[in-house]
Amino acid sequence: MRKSAEKRLKALFAEHSTPPLEVIIPILEKTGQGEQELTAQIYDTYAAVTKEIMKILGLKQKNMKTVAKVWEIVNSFEKQPFEPIELTESRFSFSIPDCPMVHVGKDISQKVRSKFCDLICAGGSKAIMDNVLGPDSGVCRWDKALIHGAGRCTLVFELVRDE
Amino acid sequence: MNVLKTPLALIVVLLVAAGLIITFAWMNLSMSNSYADLRTVLTTTTAVFGTMLGIITAGLMFTQGKFSELSSELTAKAPDYLSKVLVMEKMQPIETYLLALRKTFTKLAASTTVVEERNLYERIVTKASSIFVDFAVLLNLKLKQQGLPISQLLVSEMDSKLYGVYEKGLKDVKREWQIFTLIKQITDTCEAHTASFIEKSSITSPLEADLKSSIAILKLKEKGNKSLIDVRNEVAKALSGLNSEVGEISKRLHDDRIPQLLSQMKQASIIRGKYFYLALVFIVTPLLSNLLMLPQLSEGTVAFYQPIIAVTSVLSVMGVIFLLLYIHKILNV
Repeated sequence: MRKSAEKRLKALFAEHSTPPLEVIIPILEKTGQGEQELTAQIYDTYAAVTKEIMKILGLKQKNMKTVAKVWEIVNSFEKQPFEPIELTESRFSFSIPDCPMVHVGKDISQKVRSKFCDLICAGGSKAIMDNVLGPDSGVCRWDKALIHGAGRCTLVFELVRDE
Repeated sequence: MNVLKTPLALIVVLLVAAGLIITFAWMNLSMSNSYADLRTVLTTTTAVFGTMLGIITAGLMFTQGKFSELSSELTAKAPDYLSKVLVMEKMQPIETYLLALRKTFTKLAASTTVVEERNLYERIVTKASSIFVDFAVLLNLKLKQQGLPISQLLVSEMDSKLYGVYEKGLKDVKREWQIFTLIKQITDTCEAHTASFIEKSSITSPLEADLKSSIAILKLKEKGNKSLIDVRNEVAKALSGLNSEVGEISKRLHDDRIPQLLSQMKQASIIRGKYFYLALVFIVTPLLSNLLMLPQLSEGTVAFYQPIIAVTSVLSVMGVIFLLLYIHKILNV
């Protein structure tokens, strides 16, 4: 990666930081409000980040390879270790050994963690796929394994097939 | 080696090592008991301790010289910073933003019942107050440098606790170069360094990161409370203003390599302080003890001095290890 591109990406991630989940989740849990807003905020953040990454790196192809590249950049700049599992024309998957949900306060129940895991993964992954592949062109699944105590969580992205 | 940075840990390590050495020496008392052998051991260890003391004294002079050189370099830069970098046009808006943030987040902290949220807002108030006081101290020094009367405007915004911190800050700046410690403290408290998505929950975040977090929270809450839209906009404006003004100061600071110079000075200060006194205790004490024993050692007193010689001879080995550590530290200055 060229130095100027790296600099621009660094500035991009400094500008579009994700909300602090360890603060937000207890608030939302207690007030019972703002879940939709959180999803929207996550979506907007990742949509802006995706658009800029594509612009900075000159990624023009609307395919899974670009989705994988964007995730690689996102994970690397958020210092999130990840391991790619599969990359085909219609499918991309990777696993992560850690996630913010694991670090949310101990008094937060598994049910609440699970709900917010869905909100965050749905918002973030949809933003990336919508902006790379086009609106509603892909789906994402995640197994929440980390929340349930397993060592790694797997995320799978697939193209929506036209029936 | 990081654990050795705290004086207490270093002293504990050295004391434990000294204890082990003494035990080891006592257990090996019977190994050598002839007068000639003991005299050779005593003379050798005395020479070793003497050499070590010489090296450590030279090290002290070197670090003292390095410290003076660095402080002169910083002192030469200080007037330029006070007159050209910390200009009134920059400082006034920064202080206005900080005051506004303090007021806003004090109110927000009082109105929330969620502990995590209150903690975040209180953190912002603490950091904004700390930067506010640091700037007030710098402003005071700047006005003094220019021969102008000290402004009471900022002081009037301080409560008794903050005023206490402000007065202490003023007293702490005894040398010109110490303004850089304050400026670095400001930029460190203010600026966010890229933190990971996961790290966010565990690190002590700077003001910038906390403000971004608060903006995210206010955004989530403003659906139910429209007045928060204005609050969020105000906070966003203050954040952007602070980023721009403090960012410029920080850039200049880094361009002039001030953080590196301050870090070198800190290192030199540690060596000429903590390490030097430890060296004195662990080298001068056995050296003096050897020098006192040397004329007294005879065929008749061998049995009496043997345990002490055993201890000091093993201590000399420990002293050499300590000396290597000391030299390593000096080379890193």
